Amino acid sequence: MSAGPFKVCMLGDFGVGKTSLVSRFVRSTFSDKYMTTVGVKVDSKEVARPGRDPTKLVLWDIAGRNAIDSVSANYLRGASALLIVADGTREASLAAALNLLMQARGLLPNAFAVLAINKFDLLDRWEIAPPTLTQLRRAMTVFETSAAAGSGVEEAFAAIVAGLDP
Amino acid sequence: MIDADALPPFVRERLRALLLERSHALVLGFDPDWTLREIHGDAAFHGIDTDAPAARIAALQDLFVGIDVGDDQEIPFVELANGRSVHVYLLADGESFHLLLLDADEARATQRSQQQLANEAVLAGHAKSKAIDALRNIRNELERQRARLEEANALKNAFIATMSHEFRTPLTSAFGHLRLLEQQLPPGESGDALQAVRRSLTYLFALAENLLEYGRGEAGGGLLYPTDIDLDALLADCEAMFCPLAVAKNLVFRATLERSDATTPRFDEVKLRQIVINLLSNAMRYTHSGEVVLALRWADARLHVEVSDTGIGIAPEFQARVFHPFNSGAQSGSRGAGLGLSIVRRLVEQMQGTLALQSELGVGTRFTLDLPGAAASPSTNDAAPVHGRVLVVEDDVDVSRLLEVAFEGIGLDVRVVGEAAAAIEVALAEPPRLLVFDMHLPDLSGCEAVFRLRAQGYRGAILMLSANASADARDAALRAGADRYLTKPIDFAKLEAVARELLARE
Ligand SMILES: Nc1nc2c(ncn2[C@@H]2O[C@H](COP(=O)(O)OP(=O)(O)OP(=O)(O)O)[C@@H](O)[C@H]2O)c(=O)[nH]1
Ligand SMILES: [Mg+2]
Repeated sequence: MSAGPFKVCMLGDFGVGKTSLVSRFVRSTFSDKYMTTVGVKVDSKEVARPGRDPTKLVLWDIAGRNAIDSVSANYLRGASALLIVADGTREASLAAALNLLMQARGLLPNAFAVLAINKFDLLDRWEIAPPTLTQLRRAMTVFETSAAAGSGVEEAFAAIVAGLDP
Repeated sequence: MIDADALPPFVRERLRALLLERSHALVLGFDPDWTLREIHGDAAFHGIDTDAPAARIAALQDLFVGIDVGDDQEIPFVELANGRSVHVYLLADGESFHLLLLDADEARATQRSQQQLANEAVLAGHAKSKAIDALRNIRNELERQRARLEEANALKNAFIATMSHEFRTPLTSAFGHLRLLEQQLPPGESGDALQAVRRSLTYLFALAENLLEYGRGEAGGGLLYPTDIDLDALLADCEAMFCPLAVAKNLVFRATLERSDATTPRFDEVKLRQIVINLLSNAMRYTHSGEVVLALRWADARLHVEVSDTGIGIAPEFQARVFHPFNSGAQSGSRGAGLGLSIVRRLVEQMQGTLALQSELGVGTRFTLDLPGAAASPSTNDAAPVHGRVLVVEDDVDVSRLLEVAFEGIGLDVRVVGEAAAAIEVALAEPPRLLVFDMHLPDLSGCEAVFRLRAQGYRGAILMLSANASADARDAALRAGADRYLTKPIDFAKLEAVARELLARE
């Protein structure tokens, strides 16, 4: 099908680590300091695709919200995939993520979505139990990620790339 | 909105100039294929080098991936590569189009500081309530432990005080007088009665020993000495002990034995007798009319003991408490030391049996016990080889070598993997019977790996090994989903026992 580039939107409640995941993925950097995103920050990265030409992901790091308002709906237009992000140390952020996913599905019925439960390095403070994730996995692709330590990040984006263009 | 046309021309002009300046407006004209045709305004401010604009243009083009540029578009607050925030407008113009960029930095700064405060307040609130919860839990736990310790201590003191005098002294005296009686009476006369007295005294003595054991705590009391048991003799002894008591209280006492297993039961005799006698004593004490029934059944290598009465019964709210020591008031009218049932529970636990209680106030009480008979030769079971594959996830070659030898020694096939990610794949693809994780692995921590497995529905047995003996580390491992946690240096006897236990549990 298409050779890209592909628009990928980061969706999730505030503070879950959307900006951090993008920095980890695009620049291999991480900062402890929280600086909330206003509006949207757009980055891009060339990615390899097994057995075919590389393509480009255009990553939209959208300000965190627990529901999609008209501004974020506008940002979502044209997206091919969504990386829905929750924070494992805040159970409420998972509810927000699922809510965002449902709303986004209404706007973008064909977008491919992957769920990242972030801050895996803080596992001892996690509020999300393994059985919950087992359940979620029946319905979608889920990764435990850590923008701080890097684990799961490449895998989550690779899953998006794989799901973009079957 | 202001009607610009209504303004005097010089005001309108001034306003226009001010707005253009303040917004650092930049207009870019494009062909449909994104070839830049014209550029007007503050290009440098927006980081665009008019001589080599390609990189920045590509970034702008990225904004419209997946979007039709034949329609007007508006994207507010976009942060571009130079870190500044702009509002971006696309103005369609037939085939071609214009992009309009207006500086949004100041507005973003205001919005960011508000948003930052609000978000941080929520995050801090969450962190605070979590910390408070944790503190509250710790305090409750400490409080519970303190109460438990106090209770245990009080118990022990009370017990030792009662035991040493008020129990042993009269027993010794009774034994002495019994001996006198036996010598004075001609043989054959009242011999049965004296025998019954002697038996009862003997069991009282045994009971006293058991109380002492209680005082000693778990440490020394858990050993069992199983021997062949003559159930008929046990039944006869109970009848001899309790029939006279029942007659004196005008109660019916019945004892029955049923046997559908031809083998000879093996139990710790002293403990088994103490259990039955305690239950019967208890039933006799709280039954004022009607009957007390003992039913023994030996079937499938298990002894089923049922003691039922038509006594005063135990109110539901006290039923859990009757097994606690010194439960005065649990059964109304109770005067006893309140140790009998707690001893029963303890002995049943030691014998790995189960104990159930059914009771209704004013109707009666029934205790039901199920005790597994001791195996004929208890040690062979432990050495029996086990089968299957164990996956050892350990990056230290020396340690993994030791584990390999240990597990192969009990009959398991061993596969060693040095990295967590690879181990997760292997375990999910071909679940081993036992998974052994080192806490410190080169890629993921053991906890993270175990959590990942459990989060993907892995249900097999997982044993975590770590050099860290702290309770925190252990809790973290168990919370992540490990079944057992052992510390290094590895105690191989323990490792083997735990492995057997986990394999048996499947
Ligand atoms: N320990 C840890 N902290 C993380 C991780 N990811 C993000 N953080 C921290 O969490 C905070 C929020 O991260 P951001 O990436 O700014 O979150 P965001 O989702 O972009 O937030 P908004 O822009 O407000 O929607 C920052 O302090 C990060 O350092 C992680 O994987 N581990
Ligand atoms: Mg952000």
